[in-house]
Amino acid sequence: MTSWHVAIYVMWYRQIIRFVRMRSRLISSVLQPIMWLIFIGVGFSSALRGQLIREVFGGLSYITFMAPGIVVMSSFFTAFFSAISVIWDREFGFLKEILVAPVPRAASIFGRALGDSTVALAQAALVLAASYVVVPSLRLEGAFVALLASLLAALTVSGLGIAIASRIKSFEGFHLINMLIAMPMLFLSNTFYPLKTMPDWMRIASSLNPVTYGVDLARYSLTGVSYFAPAHSLSILLSYALAFTILATYAYAKTTIE
Amino acid sequence: MEVIEAVELTKVFNGLKAVDSVSFSVRKGEIFGFLGPNGAGKTTTINMLTTIMKPTRGFARVAGFNVVKEADEVRKRIGVLFQDVTLDRELTGWENMWFHGLIHGISWRELRDRISELLKFIELENWKSVQVKKYSGGMLRRLQLAAALVHEPEILFLDEPTLGLDPQTRARVWDYILGLRKERGVTIFLTTHYMDEAEKLCDRVAIIDKGKIIACGSPRDLKQQVGNDVVYLRVSSKADLLINLLIKEGLASQPKLIGRDTVSFTVRNAHETLPQAVSLAEKAGIRVVEAFYSEPTLEDVFLNLTGRGLRDEEASDFEFFRARMRGRFR
Repeated sequence: MTSWHVAIYVMWYRQIIRFVRMRSRLISSVLQPIMWLIFIGVGFSSALRGQLIREVFGGLSYITFMAPGIVVMSSFFTAFFSAISVIWDREFGFLKEILVAPVPRAASIFGRALGDSTVALAQAALVLAASYVVVPSLRLEGAFVALLASLLAALTVSGLGIAIASRIKSFEGFHLINMLIAMPMLFLSNTFYPLKTMPDWMRIASSLNPVTYGVDLARYSLTGVSYFAPAHSLSILLSYALAFTILATYAYAKTTIE
Repeated sequence: MEVIEAVELTKVFNGLKAVDSVSFSVRKGEIFGFLGPNGAGKTTTINMLTTIMKPTRGFARVAGFNVVKEADEVRKRIGVLFQDVTLDRELTGWENMWFHGLIHGISWRELRDRISELLKFIELENWKSVQVKKYSGGMLRRLQLAAALVHEPEILFLDEPTLGLDPQTRARVWDYILGLRKERGVTIFLTTHYMDEAEKLCDRVAIIDKGKIIACGSPRDLKQQVGNDVVYLRVSSKADLLINLLIKEGLASQPKLIGRDTVSFTVRNAHETLPQAVSLAEKAGIRVVEAFYSEPTLEDVFLNLTGRGLRDEEASDFEFFRARMRGRFR
């Protein structure tokens, strides 16, 4: 049996090589969040002025409020869509290569999730660096916790993505997942509007969303403003990351080529 | 010694029997072939033997281990060349082999030497740093074969090893396969729907059709079942009448109708019988459009057993059904 650390390492490394090789994807996945930050951030910041409105965003300007969310969003999307590429592996036959090797399934999928999360983390770091330029008032000392929040959010959605991809057998399913899972997770993550002013149904849905806690924790570390206590967010994020990793392992262990 | 043993192996998909109570065994060092048309159940059998699909019924042992209960023990000892491309197109040839070696538990140091040796063997050294997506079909096939060998398997499974390759590349892949058995003593299980491939490579062949093994033996024994020469007469009409006449005149004992207009039968001496049969037909007013004979091939064995050619149906109903099911959620 191939040992755990080798299996994790190989799978991790493959995800990294793949990401680096696909240069256009690399560039677009960093540029996209920066464009959101600049255009939506600046646009709404100048539309939403005045003391009353500032109050809604915890005393922050709109762009300052949104920036931490964009950092987490960038890692969330990258991790989710890399994880979904289990579908591609199945379609292109690569999955068989792994299934027929004497390698613990759990190790191979954990390595994969780790690789996706590493890529996502690197990207969050680039977007964070850009955010410091666009929004100089973000706290430099909060960078570490903000990136930790991004990593945990990435691990969680990577687990979720792998679990879904293990169950879905076609390209067509991919667009449906994007519509039904990725977009709602983004819109309900309190990146664009605060939890406190949401209608009840939306706040409930949002507080079930793991990404919400990543965004809230990153916002706390970068601006000092948050809805939940940071320890609360961190513990929920950790639980989600663990639960979805287990779910992914279980779903992937059951996946077959049939 | 038997290294592959299948007992009443069965796989049912959505009520369709893809593989139906298949039993056979493969001896150590042998090249054993599954010959049959597309959709006959060859790939499904390979998938079960290589542990990536669970049999519905029956069992199989590979290298002495049960393919379901001791799957990891089996995986350590086998190399598989799947029919579809299982390489990562974004990685280079060298990286693909490296990846394959590591997930099979080969140490880093050993891996370097083995990869360069194998790349030499398949003559792809100059391409090792090129991304696989730029490879041609023949190069992909050879690299995949090399990857399947990195961990020095005892048993090699080759699913349609030369599918879609041009004749030159096919001949080269055949040489590699024969070389492997000669130099390393690897046992090889392969599937093919090319009868020339089965004849050239295999010590023993199982002919499979519609999920069932219909004949099994060495290519020579199988061909002897057919008889000596096979005569084909294509006529413009009244093929049935010709069949009756051939029997009545004692020229052929069991003539068969192939398609709508071709009559085939086996005889000891085709060069004597063929002209007699043609004149018999013409006397009865049946115009012979085409006449030839051949020494029997495995194709004739298949024809003789099923009444169909190996490539009559490009895709069976079963394949069609599978293709339709793929697009859905499960």
